[in-house]
Amino acid sequence: MKETNTNNFDVAEASEEARTGSGSVRPSRTLWGDAWQRLKRNKLAVIAAIWIIFIVIVAVSADLWVPQHFGSPTEIDSASMKDMSRLPPSPEHPFGTDTLGRDVLCRVIYGARISLSVGVLATAISTIIGLIAGALAAYNGGWWDTLIMRTADIFLAFPYTLFVIAMLAVIGPGIQNVFIAIGVLGWPSIARVFRSAILSVKENDYVDAARAMGASDARIIVRHIFPNSVASVVVYATMNIGGAILTESALSFLGMGVVPPNPSWGIMIQDGQTYLATEPWLMIMPGIAILTTVLAFTLLGDGLRDALDVKMKDA
Amino acid sequence: MIKYIAKRIVQFIPVFLGVTLILFVLQNVVPGDPIKLIAGEKKLDEQTEISLRAAYHLIETDENGEPVFDENGNTIETPMWKRYIQYITGLLHGDLGRSYQQNGKPVAEILAEKYPYTIKLALVAIVIESIIGIAAGMISAIKRYSAWDIGVTTVTSALVAMPAFWFGMLQQLFWGIFLKNVTGGAFYLPISGAGGPHAEFQDWAYYMLPALTLAAVSTAYTARIMRSQLLEVLNQDYIRTARAKGLSRKAVIFRHALKNALIPVVTYIGMDFGGMLAGAILTETVFNWPGVGFETYRAITQRDWPIVLGSVTVIVVVVMVINLVVDVSYAFLDPRIRFDGSKSE
Repeated sequence: MKETNTNNFDVAEASEEARTGSGSVRPSRTLWGDAWQRLKRNKLAVIAAIWIIFIVIVAVSADLWVPQHFGSPTEIDSASMKDMSRLPPSPEHPFGTDTLGRDVLCRVIYGARISLSVGVLATAISTIIGLIAGALAAYNGGWWDTLIMRTADIFLAFPYTLFVIAMLAVIGPGIQNVFIAIGVLGWPSIARVFRSAILSVKENDYVDAARAMGASDARIIVRHIFPNSVASVVVYATMNIGGAILTESALSFLGMGVVPPNPSWGIMIQDGQTYLATEPWLMIMPGIAILTTVLAFTLLGDGLRDALDVKMKDA
Repeated sequence: MIKYIAKRIVQFIPVFLGVTLILFVLQNVVPGDPIKLIAGEKKLDEQTEISLRAAYHLIETDENGEPVFDENGNTIETPMWKRYIQYITGLLHGDLGRSYQQNGKPVAEILAEKYPYTIKLALVAIVIESIIGIAAGMISAIKRYSAWDIGVTTVTSALVAMPAFWFGMLQQLFWGIFLKNVTGGAFYLPISGAGGPHAEFQDWAYYMLPALTLAAVSTAYTARIMRSQLLEVLNQDYIRTARAKGLSRKAVIFRHALKNALIPVVTYIGMDFGGMLAGAILTETVFNWPGVGFETYRAITQRDWPIVLGSVTVIVVVVMVINLVVDVSYAFLDPRIRFDGSKSE
């Protein structure tokens, strides 16, 4: 949504590229190398990336250090439950404790595992389906294109959240089903993005050249079209991770996503709703976790878009 | 132009059939016998069960709605394709089937009771979205890179990245609880329900928080689109010409730039209104708002599938029709539009 700033850097870089000749001669200066240089200069994107890496490290390493300090994220100690219930934030429990006496920070950390895995896996599913569908539609054209894109239109006609909720109502709650529902229903947008990227790449002379040299369709797609059109998909997928995390939290909030006692951020907010007036930190902390994580993926996506020079708007 | 509209309407038909087919399949692959869901804990005698199955079109019936039996005296299960045709026919006649609960009340009747709440909420939200979104985006574009601009960008990014239901709860916390405590109960906004002691819903205060929550994300998008559009228009040659002929900056912005910059914004708001009529399940759930979204949520949790299917169908059709209307009016508003249709976002 933010407009791409055509700043002096891009201009300087473009002319430098022109001087040194095309990127294919020198493998060290690829599209991705250029993008990396540009991304590094985008402060917001760098902060976002650092935050994402931090969350990933904390979530992955949680088993090693969290239980020693904060106890289990799911188990309830019935003996001490009463004394431990809904304690305000303190040095021992930086985010306080919940109704069942579990440490909120601990649950937020383990919640990151769920959110990140849903974000990444659901996006992976959508991306794979979307890539295949988009490639088939764009490359084959004709009735393939019509069939796939009309199907995409049908999927996009549904209000997304409602569609996911209806799907989960049918297949039942649980984290695997959340992956499946969000993943399977997310493909049309990626298919559209990839299709239009391919269509613009397909017109290039090097594709004709490859075909003239007798390359097979598969080879042309994998070696020539894919590398040149994947940038927009990378940008879209990054932003999609944040969207999937938001959707998961909404599903879990409605009781249709991850099942308790698993510490999903959405479930924690739902638990906290009852104690909004008296113990607001129960819902504030997981909400901040969602906000910062989703924001980080959005900002990183924005940064990648600018760095890879992908046009996401029709201007 | 007429060709374009006709084309869009023709495109609408397969999408409509596809959407209803998907919904129908979803409903019919749900595990569990509908009759068990209808009966609940009660044990039904055979006669009642057969008449129920006939009433819900699960078995073949004759013209009078009486069940048809095969040579062994058993009922004949209606095949799936036939039920789909019945469902579509019913739909075109405004018959959405009957609830599994609530004494088998027609779904259309239930939705007709709930829809006014959703529509009124959506209207208030659209007003908030248009005023705040357009104003914030305009000022942002005019005072580009100022503290205000940075503030708007930050707030809109944050609004888009937070769950709507969480934002709603923060509103409840601030307007309902914090303000009540601080002012000693003199001023606060109600945090749930649909208004008044008789729930007659005349009290404007009850709209404020749900509408604000419903509008939050869209307001952020409106502000962003407004900002980028206005910036783009202000870069155009005809704006420079207008300035060069001596018009004041204010006159240029209001008389020349705004009109063109507003077209995509109005389109977005129109589409968004369609989305809001989809009944914000999350907002309505957080605020116990008795609209379609909340009813759909309730029906899902209680496995009242006809209501789920019916409301989702109505919602999808409403959204599709509004998108169609918006697309067509966009073509009227903007003579530059090419009729190939596709638009990002």
